[in-house]
Amino acid sequence: MEPGAPATINQSRDAPVASTGPWEGFTRFLGRRDVLPFLLLAPVLIFFIVWNLIPTLWLLGLGFYRFSLTSGRPPRFAGLYNYRSILNDSGVWIDLSRTFLFVFFAVVTETLLGMALGLLFWNSHRLPGRRIALTMLFSPMVLTPVAAGTFWRLIYDPTFGVLNSAIRGLGFSSVDFLGDGRVAFAAVLGVDVWMWTPFMVLMTLAALASVPKAELEAAEIDRLAWHQRLRLIVLHHGKFILMLGILLRTIDAFKTMDLIYDMTYGGPGSATQLVAMTLYRRAFEAFNMGWSSALAVILLLISIAFTATFIFVLHWRERREAES
Amino acid sequence: MRPTSWREHAYHALLWLVALIFFAPIFWIVLSSFKTADQILAVPPKLIFTPTIANYTKLFSSASFPHQLFNSVVLSVAAVLIAVAVSFLAAFSFSRFKPPGTNFLMFLLLSIRMLPGSAAILPVYLMYVGFGWKDTYAGMILFYAMFSIPFSVWILKGFIDGVSPRFDETGIVNGASWLRIITRTILPQVMPGVIAASIFNFIFVWNEFLFNYIIGGISTSNIPVALASGLYSNGGVDWTFISALTSVYIVPPILVVYFFQRYLLVGMTFGTVRGEV
Repeated sequence: MEPGAPATINQSRDAPVASTGPWEGFTRFLGRRDVLPFLLLAPVLIFFIVWNLIPTLWLLGLGFYRFSLTSGRPPRFAGLYNYRSILNDSGVWIDLSRTFLFVFFAVVTETLLGMALGLLFWNSHRLPGRRIALTMLFSPMVLTPVAAGTFWRLIYDPTFGVLNSAIRGLGFSSVDFLGDGRVAFAAVLGVDVWMWTPFMVLMTLAALASVPKAELEAAEIDRLAWHQRLRLIVLHHGKFILMLGILLRTIDAFKTMDLIYDMTYGGPGSATQLVAMTLYRRAFEAFNMGWSSALAVILLLISIAFTATFIFVLHWRERREAES
Repeated sequence: MRPTSWREHAYHALLWLVALIFFAPIFWIVLSSFKTADQILAVPPKLIFTPTIANYTKLFSSASFPHQLFNSVVLSVAAVLIAVAVSFLAAFSFSRFKPPGTNFLMFLLLSIRMLPGSAAILPVYLMYVGFGWKDTYAGMILFYAMFSIPFSVWILKGFIDGVSPRFDETGIVNGASWLRIITRTILPQVMPGVIAASIFNFIFVWNEFLFNYIIGGISTSNIPVALASGLYSNGGVDWTFISALTSVYIVPPILVVYFFQRYLLVGMTFGTVRGEV
C-alpha cells in the first residue's frame, strides 16, 4: 500500500460525523487500523487454535507417552520410547519406503502420460463437444476414492472381472490382480494413475496456455524442430506450472489411503500397505495412541518439508516473473 | 475458418477416444447399476441386456440411504459456506493489512492440509472423544470447515491481491464502512475465487471418507462411509447396491466439473495457477 494512503484514510475517519452515539463509537473502534485486521482474522484464528494448534500440541505431547486405549491404564511418560521403537521397527521403514516407491512411480507415470495427453489436447479448441469430452476426462478425479477402490475390485476380479475376461479372450490365463502379492502393488498403482493422470493433463494444459503465441509463431517461421520448440519455448514458459503440479501430486500421492482402504486394505500381506494405512491400523485398530502419535509427528515433519518445497517453487516463480 | 480436413477428423476422433477410455470405468459402474446381481457377475461380462431399475428403487426405499444422502449434503454445504465466509475475511486481512506472521500463518495453514488423513485425524479423534463431540453435526461441520479453510484462504488471498487497494480508498473517502467496502466492493470482484474455493472444497467434503468414519457415527455418516461399511450382505459383496449408490453419488461432482470447468484449475491448485484450459 502506498505510504500516502493511510494518512488520507485517517483524516477522513477522524472528521466529525453527524451522529455520535455509543454504537457509532463502537463501530469506529472496530474499524481502527490496529483492530480491524485481527477482527477479520479472528474466526480463522479460532478455528486454527481449536482444531489445529491444540490437537497438534496434544499429538506432540502424546508422542512421549505410552498410551493405549485398550489397556485402560492412564498414559505413562516414556520419553523417547515411542520414537526409538519406530526407528527400530523394520515394518515401518518398509512401509515408508513402499510409500515413497508408490509416490515415485505414480508421479512419474502420471506426469509423463499427463504431459503427452496434454500436448495432444493442445489444439483441441475446435473439438465438437469439447466440454463434455473434458468432463469425461476429468471425471475420475471427482469420483469418491472409496467407490473407485471398491469398484476396481470388481473390474480386477479373477473370475467375474471384465479385465480378466479380456485377458482370457486374448488367450492368457487370468491374473489375480489384488490377491497376488507380486501384482497387487502395480494394480493399485494403475488405479491411482487412472484417477490422477487427468490432473496432470489439466496442469499441462494450463502450462501450455501460459506460452506466448508470438514466440510459437516465431518458432514456426524459424522452422524449429518440434523437440526444440518443446524445450526452448513450452518448457521454458510452462515449467513452473508443471513443477507445482508435480509437487501437488507428490503430496497427494503420499497421503493415499481411502483408495486402498476398500480395494486391498493394505494386503495381501502388506503388499499395498502405505504409511497412512499403517498409521490407521496402529491407531484405530490396535488403539496404540502413544506410538501412533509419534509416527504422526514424523509424517507431519515430512509434510512440512513437502510444503516448504512447494512454497519455495512458488516464490522462485514470483521472482522470475518479477525479473522478466 | 478453414474447412475440416480428414486429418482434423482423425485428430478429433483420437481425442474423444482418450476421453472415453478415462470415462470407461465410470461408464461400467453406471451400466452395472442397471443390471441384476447375476448379470453383474456374468462371465463373460454382458454389454447387451435388458436394463432394470430395481437397484434404484431398492436404494431409494432403503431405510438408511435418504438419511446418509442428507448427511452428505448438509455436511458439505454447511462446511463450505462457513469455511468460505471466514476465509474471505481472513484473506482480506492478510492481503490488505499484512499483520505480523502472515507468511508463517499461511504456511502453517497449508502444511496441515498436506498431512496424511490418518495423522491429521488422530489427535482430533482423542479430542472429540474427550469432549463428547464425536458423532455430532456441529462437530463434523466445524471440523470439515477447518479442513476447507486453508485452501480457501490461499485461493481468496490470491484473488484479493489482484484487486487494487484504490477501491478500498475510494470507499473510505466516500464514507463507506469497512463492512460495506468488503461486501459491496471487494466481494463482487473476487466471485471467481469464491466459486473456485466453494466447488473445490465441496468436492473434497462430498467424497471424504476417513474423517467421517472416525469422528462421525451412525447419525452423521455420509455416503462414502455407507459405501465402505455397507459392502457385505449375505457373505458376498452387494454389487447392485454399490453400483447404484456410486452412480447416484457421482452426479453432483460431474455436474460441477461440467458447469464450472474453468474454475477447476484454480480450485485444484488453490489459486497458485490460473489460466484457461
